[in-house]
Amino acid sequence: MFKQMLILIFAILLSPTLYAKIDLVTLPVRDQVQLTIYNPADLTLVREQRTLTLKQGTNRLEFGWADTLIDPTSVHLEAPQHAGQVNLLDVSYPPNVKGSAIWTIESQIAGKIPVEITFFVSGISWRAFYMATLSTDEKTMRLQNYVRVNNHSGEDYANAQTRVVVGKIQLLDDIAQLARRSSPYGVPSSMMPQMAASFASVEIEDLGARSVLAESIPMAFKRKKIIKEGLSEYFLYTIEGTESILDGWGKRLISLDVSDIPVRTLYRYDEYRYGTQAQHLLFFKNDEVHHLGDTPLPNGKVTIYRQLVDNQHLSYVGDMYTKYIPVNQEVELNLGQARHIKVEPVLMDYKTGNYVFDFDGNIAGFIRVQNWQVKLENSRDISVDMEIFQHFEHPYWEIKNSEDMLGSYEKVDVDTVKYRLTLPPYTKEHLFTYTITLFEGEHRQKH
Amino acid sequence: MKRTTSLTWAVISLLFLFSEVTWARIKLVALPEREATVIRLDNPNATLLEEERVLTLQQGINKVDFSWKEVQIQPDSIRLTVLEQQNAITAITMLNVSYPPNEQALVWEIASSIAQQVRVRISYLLNKIDRLVTYKAMVRKDESSLDLTSFLVLRNFSGENLPSTRFQLDYGEAFESAILNGETKRMQFFRAEKLPIKKHFTFDASQMPWDHKMVRNNVGIPVHYKLENTTDNGLGKHALWNGKARLYGEDGHGSTIFLGEDTAKFTPVGQSLKLTIGKSRDVVVTQRKTSEKRLNERRNHKKTQAVLYDTEETMRVEVENFKEQVAFITLREPMPQEWEIKETSHPYKKENNQEIIFDIQVPEKEKMVVIYTYYQRNVRP
Repeated sequence: MFKQMLILIFAILLSPTLYAKIDLVTLPVRDQVQLTIYNPADLTLVREQRTLTLKQGTNRLEFGWADTLIDPTSVHLEAPQHAGQVNLLDVSYPPNVKGSAIWTIESQIAGKIPVEITFFVSGISWRAFYMATLSTDEKTMRLQNYVRVNNHSGEDYANAQTRVVVGKIQLLDDIAQLARRSSPYGVPSSMMPQMAASFASVEIEDLGARSVLAESIPMAFKRKKIIKEGLSEYFLYTIEGTESILDGWGKRLISLDVSDIPVRTLYRYDEYRYGTQAQHLLFFKNDEVHHLGDTPLPNGKVTIYRQLVDNQHLSYVGDMYTKYIPVNQEVELNLGQARHIKVEPVLMDYKTGNYVFDFDGNIAGFIRVQNWQVKLENSRDISVDMEIFQHFEHPYWEIKNSEDMLGSYEKVDVDTVKYRLTLPPYTKEHLFTYTITLFEGEHRQKH
Repeated sequence: MKRTTSLTWAVISLLFLFSEVTWARIKLVALPEREATVIRLDNPNATLLEEERVLTLQQGINKVDFSWKEVQIQPDSIRLTVLEQQNAITAITMLNVSYPPNEQALVWEIASSIAQQVRVRISYLLNKIDRLVTYKAMVRKDESSLDLTSFLVLRNFSGENLPSTRFQLDYGEAFESAILNGETKRMQFFRAEKLPIKKHFTFDASQMPWDHKMVRNNVGIPVHYKLENTTDNGLGKHALWNGKARLYGEDGHGSTIFLGEDTAKFTPVGQSLKLTIGKSRDVVVTQRKTSEKRLNERRNHKKTQAVLYDTEETMRVEVENFKEQVAFITLREPMPQEWEIKETSHPYKKENNQEIIFDIQVPEKEKMVVIYTYYQRNVRP
């Protein structure tokens, strides 16, 4: 049902200034439609194919829309099969008429001409989300990525080739705002006309013929594939075949379903980022080793479950948002606060010393020596890997770790260090200590 | 009849030809009863519901309509899993999921290569349903042990009635219960008797007045019981969840009194749980600094100013026990940044750089004095 958009073609008689709508000649149905949906920008590029019946010479055609938010400045018409023979001479937006444009088309041929009409609409959106299911031993994971498309554009799109764009586009204006303007390019102000904003539509490269849709096996029994390909800074997901997405409806399609992804669990303590609660983290890489790596993973919410031993039952672990993940990048999923793991760094001793004095006898430098004790607890039934960040807020320091320390030590940056270690199951208390010397005044130079 | 909300469920098996545009939503009320509903209460942040249904699928594409009204379901969390079967030639493909406008519903499109019945499990996160844990403790008259009863409180405001449902916590066996929408239900969770406890008094010198005579009212000394979550003590099977604990005491006349209440912290196996009941006025602590001397002063060259010095300070803490039992008392004493102990009358433990602790035992009706002297180093004026 095409309730809002209609194309009227009418022959113009004598006066081109006469916009009276006479003789509704044809109401061509869309032959094909393609949607390219962006996120998070509220922008969808619609490419329609329609067959117009044109006469030789000048044709006038009205393109009308109502209840849909179309950016009038983005509407274009082309006749790719008759390039050079069918030209759009001008587009006029009549005064006091909203949702309508009149096109003057010059055609060297008469008859049915297939044309392509492109424009931007607001109100169709897509988002990605994930379901991750950990194996019982937390060593592997199944990752399912879904694409959900919602249509609130006011227009039904039946049998549309649907593509979604992963990437962040630059837009100068909201499409919805442009669509609501009383005159498509705005009204000149008494000051300098700000035309730049009016020509804001982003040029999107014509992608040309596509080599997808190769298979013609009965579609009905197969899950639709989502074909993914990179394009400049964007990634294009094309849903196999066509989709009907009626106004108000949403649709969810699976775009990735990979099992047995090896994952690594880690508990991290970092007061700067998380406060005093250790966090439960999960790592994997968007690469071949992890049965991924074909495409970047779009940002979205991840709901994490754990598979239980008995009869395919599940347990809910947590959810979080993931950022966009490029190919080969490591993914870090934060499952939230770890209630069974505790980390408590305690300053046990503090001394100053090595005082030096200036010519007046005032203090010119000294050192501060802090002894820290980090108390760890693991009340889980499995051994856990931990990572503990400590910050000194001071660039001049020297550290001494205890010699019998389990695990490893690493300097992260000028005032941050990191310890890694593995705690056996049911560790009621494990302590490690370090001494840090902070240099003040004159001692900073010597250091 | 009370009109309650419910999950409705319909299977629409349409053999689709070509017209994908016929999207009219016919709700066939061929409701397969849901079975084996399990509510998982193992995560404090969300509740997962799992249920099983038998779907009768036609060969071809089937539309399965799942709708809910006024039920707090998180739509993105809905999962459908085909359960593995004995003679597994299921050949089922989940094609996609659609969300109809202005409705709390979704439509699964499922392709099946043969007409068949399959058992599926549907799971989703349900909001506004959870569980609390509360405790009731009965303390013996001699305060050496207590009987602990733990209750599970189910709160169902999810919009869904749950007749005979299995509830699963993160430990132990699932149990069966029924709960209506809007209903709260409390049930006994576990009971453990004669758990040994230790009673403690804590004086925190950084928080509490040092001299009771200088303040208008009595200075109450916080009292808590300490309980170990270990198997030796009759617990230790699982972590104790956080929740409100009410403590009662036997009065020795066949009745009880209410001693007080506290929030029990999440206590993993092997850790101890502290439950504060209130404040005691039968233990009185008086603390005084009895001396302060300046030592090792260093002045600048013009001798006009001190630039660095040490001090020697002495504290005297007097603890009086007016009770008829011995009292275990913890004195928490704040310390300056840089210090060294010179001498103490009792052994002490360093809690951290700015706190030391004396654990003392004061016999009934007696008084004990703790004295400690320390140097404060490298003080600047």
